[in-house]
Amino acid sequence: MSPARPAVKVVKYRPAGRDYGYQNARIRGMRSRLLRQSFFDELLAAKDIGAMIQKMIETEYGPQLEDRILHGRTATQVDEALKDNMQSTFRKVLSHCNNEATTLVTTLLGRWDLFNVKTIVRAKHMKLEAEELLDSLIAVGQLSQIDNEELARQGDIRGLVDTLSTWGLPFAVPLRAVLPEYEESDDLSLLELALDRYYYEWAAKRLKGWRENHRIARRFLAAQVDTMNLLTSIRLLNADLAPEEAARFFLPGGDVVDEALFLELSVMSDVDEVFRRVKKTQYGKPLDEAALLYMEKGSVSVFERALEDFLFRQAFGTGKGDPLGIGLTISYLWAKANEVTNLRIVVKGVSVGMPEERMREELIVV
Amino acid sequence: MIKNKLAKVVFGSTFLTAMVVPAIALAQEGEAAAEVAVDPAVGVAKYAAAGAAICVAALSAAYAQSRIGAAGAGTLAERPEAGTTLIVLMALPEVIVLLGFVIAFMIGTA
Repeated sequence: MSPARPAVKVVKYRPAGRDYGYQNARIRGMRSRLLRQSFFDELLAAKDIGAMIQKMIETEYGPQLEDRILHGRTATQVDEALKDNMQSTFRKVLSHCNNEATTLVTTLLGRWDLFNVKTIVRAKHMKLEAEELLDSLIAVGQLSQIDNEELARQGDIRGLVDTLSTWGLPFAVPLRAVLPEYEESDDLSLLELALDRYYYEWAAKRLKGWRENHRIARRFLAAQVDTMNLLTSIRLLNADLAPEEAARFFLPGGDVVDEALFLELSVMSDVDEVFRRVKKTQYGKPLDEAALLYMEKGSVSVFERALEDFLFRQAFGTGKGDPLGIGLTISYLWAKANEVTNLRIVVKGVSVGMPEERMREELIVV
Repeated sequence: MIKNKLAKVVFGSTFLTAMVVPAIALAQEGEAAAEVAVDPAVGVAKYAAAGAAICVAALSAAYAQSRIGAAGAGTLAERPEAGTTLIVLMALPEVIVLLGFVIAFMIGTA
């Protein structure tokens, strides 16, 4: 009797070390299938959700749409299909990443985990039901959709922290540290700040390194921190806070906005003064463009939007450097996220009969 | 691990070729040397140079093809229609070996 043959082990090809050739070639192929401006023009002109599905089913979103419309040709199902596509695309990109890229990309994608946990924390603070917040969660980081749903089902914030601790997830650490203070004061910003601070410090540590790829990822992370600090300082303009109170909202790790500048900006009298102070930095241009809109609308959200657009442009810009570096991956992931966000805006807009011009205003960096 | 073993085999065989080919050639040269007086050191240097020319060219082409192959596999997975272009791109580094061969030949017959 012949000896039993050993079971064949199927190993999926995953580039080792720092070989970006295979990974970037696949990403270039995927990038070539991103939707063009002309497609969005056609989509914006669609009369109803049925017409939109008809157009989108021929694109990359086809398989997920086909699955979802079995449950009904509604905007909610299309929205779910878009989220499914984004999640599977991000997982696909991660599966092709080499060792170095996996570390860098998972660190940057932790931003989505942070976003999800913060969304759940806010919802629990406001005593919302799980079903009300599930639409807002996108599982593209290390937390899966099932993890997010389980977290969303927790009865209160203490339950959420306990679950995170049980799973050994790092977000439990900052939340547990400020939980007693939160329970005493019922101040949501304590939890949010603790989470933000923890994530950006953790990410900055993970992105330390002398290689160019680490530098690109670190610079992009620093831009995220800078934009958050700028936005916070603009929001604090009329809050009349003492410097030590304002310093509580500062996030370390930015390239341009350090603590001294943050405090200086926070106590300024108006947005014009803030703009004059930062106009020589890379944030001058986006703030200048938003300042005009701010005059019209009087809402700080225009700055939020301008800085968000700036961040997307920064991400797209990382792909223009080294063809065998991490930049292309970051650029593609953010372009994909941008595309899905825009599609979700159009789907929601068309389903509620929003005018085309209004939808165009809402689209991000098309 | 496999990658390292493979690299050792490739490097070893190329190195061996670079050393053995000049030795054989030199032995043949030795027979002819009886008729024409040639400095043996010049003969060794000549064939070693010819061996090195083809060796370096072959290794360079192999490196280029490995990178193109990896990227080509990625492209093919996403865009199968680019197959023909990829075959051309894969074949391009062979020119380096051909040039190395020509240079080695020219050195050997000089």
